[in-house]
Amino acid sequence: MAAGQNGAGPASQTILVVGGGIAGVTAAVEAAEAGQDVILIERDAALGGRVTKLNRYFPKLCHPTCGLEINYQRIRKNPRIRVMTMCEVQGISGGRGDYKVSVQRHPRFVNERCTACGACANATEMMVDNPFNYGLDKVKAAYLPHEHAFPMRYVVAPEAIAAGEGEKLKAACAYGALDPDDKGETFDLHVGAVVWATGWQPYDPKKLDVYSYVHSRDIITNVEMERLAAHDGPTHGKILRPSNGEPAKKVALIQCAGSRDLNHLPYCSRICCLGSLKHAAYVREQYPDAEVHIYYIDIRAHDKLEAFYDRVRADPQVKFVKSKPAHIRVGEDGRPMLHGERTIDREIYAEPYDLVVLATGMQPSAVAGYRPTMGLVADEYGFLVPVEGDGEGMFSAGVASGPLDVSMSVQSATAAALKAIQAVRNA
Amino acid sequence: MTTPAPAAGKTYDLSFARWVRDNINGGDKLNLCMQCGACSGSCPIGVQMDYGPRKLFMMIRAGMKEEVLSANTQWNCTSCYRCVVRCPRGVPVTYILQDLAAKSAEFGYAKGPHENKNFAQSFWWSAATFGRTDERLVTMRYFFSLGLGEGFKRAMANLKVALGMVKTGRMHIGLPHMTKGRKGLKAILAKAREIEARH
Ligand SMILES: Cc1cc2nc3c(=O)[nH]c(=O)nc-3n(C[C@H](O)[C@H](O)[C@H](O)COP(=O)(O)OP(=O)(O)OC[C@H]3O[C@@H](n4cnc5c(N)ncnc54)[C@H](O)[C@@H]3O)c2cc1C
Ligand code: SF4
Ligand code: SF4
Ligand code: SF4
Ligand code: SF4
Repeated sequence: MAAGQNGAGPASQTILVVGGGIAGVTAAVEAAEAGQDVILIERDAALGGRVTKLNRYFPKLCHPTCGLEINYQRIRKNPRIRVMTMCEVQGISGGRGDYKVSVQRHPRFVNERCTACGACANATEMMVDNPFNYGLDKVKAAYLPHEHAFPMRYVVAPEAIAAGEGEKLKAACAYGALDPDDKGETFDLHVGAVVWATGWQPYDPKKLDVYSYVHSRDIITNVEMERLAAHDGPTHGKILRPSNGEPAKKVALIQCAGSRDLNHLPYCSRICCLGSLKHAAYVREQYPDAEVHIYYIDIRAHDKLEAFYDRVRADPQVKFVKSKPAHIRVGEDGRPMLHGERTIDREIYAEPYDLVVLATGMQPSAVAGYRPTMGLVADEYGFLVPVEGDGEGMFSAGVASGPLDVSMSVQSATAAALKAIQAVRNA
Repeated sequence: MTTPAPAAGKTYDLSFARWVRDNINGGDKLNLCMQCGACSGSCPIGVQMDYGPRKLFMMIRAGMKEEVLSANTQWNCTSCYRCVVRCPRGVPVTYILQDLAAKSAEFGYAKGPHENKNFAQSFWWSAATFGRTDERLVTMRYFFSLGLGEGFKRAMANLKVALGMVKTGRMHIGLPHMTKGRKGLKAILAKAREIEARH
C-alpha cells in the first residue's frame, strides 16, 4: 500500500510495538538502536510480561530479572523509545508508512512524578488480589506492581477509588503524584509499522473439569508454581501446600494439561515439558527427601534443551510416568488423588500427592481483546502471522506468533524489528 | 498382569491394522491414537479388561489378530462413552470396541457359552421380537443359553430378587410388553440385513 495515502501527511518512520513482554521490549530496543523512533505500549502497569512472573529461566535456571534489567537499561539510555503503560490498542487503519492507531489509556491514578516512596500504600488498609501472584495473595490497594517494576511507579486499584479511598491517598502523597480524578483517555498515534507482541495467557484450568482445579487448593497451575517458588511470591519462595502451608514433599506434574487435546488446545505448547522439568528442579532443590513424578505422553525437550532433560532425569527421586492421567479426585485425607493407566506396564493406579501441578499451555492473548484485522492473519489456533508479500507494515513477534520460549521469542522479535525497519524505510 | 507382547518367532498379521481401518466402524480414526492411556485410565471397568482399549489398539497396530479378536476388552465395554468424551485425539473408542465384538463373534472367536455375547444376543432377540426388552425373558433366555444346569442354578439364585421386584412393581407378570407396529419393525430389520449382506 502506498505511503501517506490517506492524506495524513508524510510517511511516518515511527515503529509501534504493541505488548511490552520480552518480545516487545526486544523489538523496541533493537529498532531504536538501529536509529528508528519507537513507541512501546503495554497494557499492564509495568513492562516484562509473563517472564517477570517466572521464578527462573530454563535451561540455566538464572533469574529473569537479569535479562530484563539489561533491556530496561537500554530503554532508559535511548531517547528514541517512548514507553506507554496501561495502554491498549483499540483499532488500526491505514497502511504501511501511514497507520492510524487508536489507543485507550486506562487510569493508573499515579503520574510520572511518583518516586515510589510508598507513603500511599501506608495510608490505606484496603487489600486487593495481587495480580503479580495470580491472586494467590493480597496486596495493598495502592501498590508497586513488583519489586523490579519498570517504570518504577505505583498504581492504584480502581476498587480503591470506587470505595472512596482517593482523597486519603492523595493527601498521603508529598509529590503531587497521586490523582484520584484520573479518568484515562483515548488518543491516536501515527506510525509507519506495527510489531504485534501481545504474548500469551495460560489456558484456563477451570475448563479441565476432570482435573478438579476448583475442588482442591493443592491442585495448581504451572504459572502458579513459578510464583510459589519465587522469593517475591506468596510463600516467599517456599514450596508449600496451599491448603495447609506444609512442605510439598510428594509432587505430581501433569503434562499436556489442556494441550495436544482436541477438546482444548489442539497444539503442543512446546515449553511446558521444560517448564515442568524446571519445576522438578525447584522442588528437589528445596527438599532433599522430596519425590517428584512427571506424568507425560512424551517429553518434548526441543533442540539443545535435551541436555536439561538429561540432567533432571539423572535424579533418582524424579520419576517419569508415561500416562495421561484420566482424572484427579480429592482423596479422603484431603490430598489430590491421581487416577489413570501407566502405559508401560498397564497398571491402573490411584496415587495421592501433596501438590499437583497442571502444566497448562500457552494460548495467544489476542484471543481475548482486540486483534488486528489487516496485515496479520490468525492461524487456526489464534497465533498471528504476517500476510507474506503483501507489502504491509504489520509483523508479529514472541508468543503472539506461536508457542515459543524466551530465546526463540527474542529471535523472532529481532527479526520483526528488522522487517519493520525495512517497511518504514521503504515506505 | 501378563499380557502378550510382540515376540520373536511369532507370526503377526501385518494386514490386520489395514483390515480394521477398512472394516471396523471408527477404525479409520485408529491411526490418530497417541497411546496416552486416558481411555483405559478412565474406564470404570478397566481392571476387568484383559487389555483395555489403549493396549488393544496397539496390538491391532502390531498385527496381533488372534489375541485381539479373542480378547474380552470389546465384550466387557459397557458403552459408557467416558473414554470417547475424554480421548484427546477424537478416537471413537466405543464404536470400535462394539464393532470388534460383533466381528469377533461373526468370525467364531467368541465360541461356546460366552457371558457377554450370550447376554447381547438375548437382549437383541427380545428387542427384535417384541420391539421392547422384557427383563424376564431376556434374563431367562440368557441364563439358559449358558446350559440347562447353569440356567437353573442362576434362576434359583435370583428368585428372591425377582419376587421382590414383582412385589414393588418393578417387574410385571403376564404377557411381555410389545410395540404396536411389530410388522413394520420386522420389515425394517429384514431390509437392514439385506443391506448389510451386500457389503
Ligand atoms: C510455566 C511456564 C514456564 C516458562 N518458563 C520458561 C523458561 O524457564 N524459559 C523460557 O525460555 N521460557 C519459559 N516460558 C515461556 C515464556 O514465558 C515465553 O516465551 C515468554 O513469556 C514470551 O514472551 P512474549 O513477550 O512473547 O509474551 P508475554 O510475556 O506474554 O508478554 C506480552 C505482553 O503484552 C502485553 N499485552 C497483551 N495484550 C496487549 C494489548 N492488547 N495491548 C497492549 N499490551 C498487551 C501483556 O500485558 C504482556 O506484558 C515459560 C512458560 C510457562 C507457561
Ligand atoms: S504515588 Fe506518591 S505516595 Fe505513592 S509511591 Fe508514588 S510518590 Fe509515593
Ligand atoms: S511441551 Fe510437553 S507438556 Fe507442553 S504440550 Fe508439548 S508435550 Fe505437552
Ligand atoms: S484416549 Fe484416545 S489417544 Fe489416548 S490411548 Fe485412548 S484412544 Fe488413544
Ligand atoms: S465406553 Fe467402554 S471402554 Fe469406554 S470407558 Fe466406557 S466401558 Fe470403558
